[in-house]
Amino acid sequence: MNPIAQEMQNIAKELLTSGEVTAVIGWEKGTFWYQSTPVMITSAEEADKLIWDEFCQPNLSKYLLDYRLNEGKVAIFVKGCDARAFNRLLQDNQIERQKAYLIGIPCPGMKDHKQAALVEESAKDSVPLAKVCQSCRYPNPVVYDRLIGSEVTPRATEPDFSDVMALEAMTPDERYAFWQEQHTKCIRCYACRNACPACNCRNCIFSDSKSGWISKDVNTSENQFYAITRATHVAGRCVECGQCEMVCPSNIPIMLMNKKYIKDINDLFGKYDAGIDIDTPTPLGHYKLDDPEEFM
Amino acid sequence: MKKVGVFVCHCGSNIAHSVDCAKVAETLKDFPNVAFSTDYKYMCSEPGQELIKKAIKEQGLDRVVVCSCSPRMHENTFRNCVAQAGLNPYMFEMANIREQCSWVHPDDMEKATEKAIDLAKMAVSKVCYDEPLEKSYSPVTKRALVVGGGIAGIQTAIDIANNGFVVDIVERTPSIGGKMSQIDKTFPTLDCSACILTPKMVEASSHPNINLITFAEVEKVEGYVGNFDVTIRKKARSVDMSKCTGCGTCWSKCPTKVPSEFELGMSMRKAIYTPFPQAIPNKPVIDREHCLKFTKGICGVCSKVCPAGAIDYTIEDELVTERYGAIVMATGYQLFDASVYGEYGYGRYPDVISGLQFERLINASGPTMGHLLRPSDGKEPKNVVFIKCVGSRDENKGKEYCSRTCCMYTAKQATLVRDKIKDSKVYVFYMDVRTPGKGYEEFYNRTTEKYEANYIRGRVSKITQEGDKLLVHGEDTLLGRPVKVEADMVVLATAMVSNPDAAHLAQLVGFSYDKDGFYTESHPKLAPVETHTAGVFLAGACQGPKDIPDTVAQAGAAAVKVTALLSKDKLETEPSVSVVDQKNCAGCGHCVNICPYRAISLETIQERVNGKTIERKVAHVNSSLCRGCGACTVTCRSSSISLKHFTNKQILAEVDALCLQ
Repeated sequence: MNPIAQEMQNIAKELLTSGEVTAVIGWEKGTFWYQSTPVMITSAEEADKLIWDEFCQPNLSKYLLDYRLNEGKVAIFVKGCDARAFNRLLQDNQIERQKAYLIGIPCPGMKDHKQAALVEESAKDSVPLAKVCQSCRYPNPVVYDRLIGSEVTPRATEPDFSDVMALEAMTPDERYAFWQEQHTKCIRCYACRNACPACNCRNCIFSDSKSGWISKDVNTSENQFYAITRATHVAGRCVECGQCEMVCPSNIPIMLMNKKYIKDINDLFGKYDAGIDIDTPTPLGHYKLDDPEEFM
Repeated sequence: MKKVGVFVCHCGSNIAHSVDCAKVAETLKDFPNVAFSTDYKYMCSEPGQELIKKAIKEQGLDRVVVCSCSPRMHENTFRNCVAQAGLNPYMFEMANIREQCSWVHPDDMEKATEKAIDLAKMAVSKVCYDEPLEKSYSPVTKRALVVGGGIAGIQTAIDIANNGFVVDIVERTPSIGGKMSQIDKTFPTLDCSACILTPKMVEASSHPNINLITFAEVEKVEGYVGNFDVTIRKKARSVDMSKCTGCGTCWSKCPTKVPSEFELGMSMRKAIYTPFPQAIPNKPVIDREHCLKFTKGICGVCSKVCPAGAIDYTIEDELVTERYGAIVMATGYQLFDASVYGEYGYGRYPDVISGLQFERLINASGPTMGHLLRPSDGKEPKNVVFIKCVGSRDENKGKEYCSRTCCMYTAKQATLVRDKIKDSKVYVFYMDVRTPGKGYEEFYNRTTEKYEANYIRGRVSKITQEGDKLLVHGEDTLLGRPVKVEADMVVLATAMVSNPDAAHLAQLVGFSYDKDGFYTESHPKLAPVETHTAGVFLAGACQGPKDIPDTVAQAGAAAVKVTALLSKDKLETEPSVSVVDQKNCAGCGHCVNICPYRAISLETIQERVNGKTIERKVAHVNSSLCRGCGACTVTCRSSSISLKHFTNKQILAEVDALCLQ
């Protein structure tokens, strides 16, 4: 067992035994070798389930929403992106800081489980990192109560918008055709929404069939409307964890649209990274006296 | 079944010239829920309104659509009209087929008519979902705030105070008086500016209903018409106002000299100073940027010599919050920086001066005691050239607009030169001479005839220095030939521009301004002293360039509006406000931060979940503060906020009316 997993188990046991927390959220090994899935454990005996490997991409912070009514504290393991997601949820008033115990783990980058699924376990080393991890700027948790391991050097210091720029270089017709092709594949399973730490409405408007302007029909037009609405709703709050793309069964490049929004927001309102702290207001989420108003 | 009445207005020929109003009315008859439809020449006129009332009664209409002008113009007119006929005033919609149709499509009647029909159909679709709304009431604080202590602010305050209401003047500089206190004579009567201004300053300072808050700025404005909570920063004066007698010992002994702002840098003041001898209050402030006590920690002479012991270096800025029923903006203007015109050499040649510098040079209490002398060598100028429109009417380097006052003050200044220096010659380079005021044309005629000012129509291309003379190169466009004038002094009639922080202040108080930073009146003709923000009024040049007579007239008008507001015991508040669906609200608080009126807060509610009572936070709208802008409704991802009278259902109905044809 790797030393980090060992330490995770020890900490979980210690926290659960002492009663400091009532549950621990971590990862366990999934059905396949390329899957590591979230696990919630409530007793010290279960701590052995916890693992740490190159497939621990699932962002755990969103699962804290399931513990909103929990009276005690919940311990949670956070990589860089989980920690940013945690800040996002705090900023959206969805969770309380004092009800979570954050165990930070600097992240070396996670492998792309979809690529891994195409090869044998023996070829594991040839599996590339997940796309979001390749240009990750925040592998180290930005918030934690306790840290396992030592901090790692980020792979990038500047955001990588090369794919967005390629998209922008297309003609409007080409771009439209590109997205249409992508969104035709959408089966409206809403996995992207459910996995996203920025999606935290009590009632998603896409669950409201009476609104009049949103339909649950699965067709290209409605799918596009869903995709654009979803991206707009998380605009300025996306922590670039890539969960949406990771869980998409249709392989739609969802992060590409999110990144287009991030780039536009950076251009219009100044550089902003969501979830780095909880004090900077989100660029689209506050009113400022000197907000640009060229249209007036 | 709804019974909608549609009333299409011709607006004389304003709408009818490019919209077939009869066809609009006829077409709408077949639209669902329309029970009655007609057109009329002036729907807002008495017979027009009677027509609506009659139709409501005779046809049993339960809601009304008027297709006419902008709601800004006549929404209230028609709301009152339908209310008089017994309907709830909110069972009414307006389709704007003038500003948004006939005026923008003057040459295509067919298309414009088609568009007018679409707009009418949208309004009918929306009105079908209108619900009766009731106004609520809020109290009125019977106290007014005037921002700016120039002639506009002073006159407004005096007029409000004479009507029996308490009014505070907040003035940024240490004294009230403004630009008018720097001016020498006033056109067209040539009375001395100080002689007519200082009595008003004294009246303002001694009036029992007026409080002067000088050396202070508005820091924050919260609240709404009738109840504005204004935070005022009283800047540290370093002088205890209650002890100071204004004896002047301190500034006579102060060793530090600083260029005087009041004299436009043409003479020196001390680091402890009053801006000018007639300042009100006539008590000094310490300029902390220059005072040795603050810059080097030495000196302290003023404190030693003050017989009243009024000097206090430890005084700090003080923030006070006061509640006002109404606010009048009277923040005035600045002068255009003429150095933008490099060819005139302003700032480079000492004898090229601005009009306001001229005022100080010719003023008896100015730096030269009223003897017009050149800044460079102190000699009396014989040839004086005036250049008009410096920064005005010049889109490239200055402002597109006309500053309105320059033609007259240049004529006045030319007269003053000729009057004071008998053997002088004056030349005025001009584009046009605009004298639209009582006695103005006559004054201008005297300037050219009796005072023999030489008016040359044309632009000055450049000014060069030749020895101790300025050579003014220009063109006489009437004669079509270049001219060269040898001048001892050149006076630039610089444009009136808005204050550099005018936009910031407008945003702070919460009303609109134009591209030049001048404050926007609610209606250019019918509401010239109101802003779009209820309870905020305008006086003077902050609204646009104007001279003293116009400013004083506008100040009086603003005061009447304020008095009318303050004399009410309670105000109606608009019922078209946001409401929160608290069970759907996740309490993320985005709406709280996005609301420009600070009308939304998070409140804790209790809920039963799984047999347990839990507490959670949800958004709550203060309906008195909400102005119905709708920013919250679009920022809410879960659609948990909706705006009454503009519900999602209504907007969708409008979209459907447009798209489902």
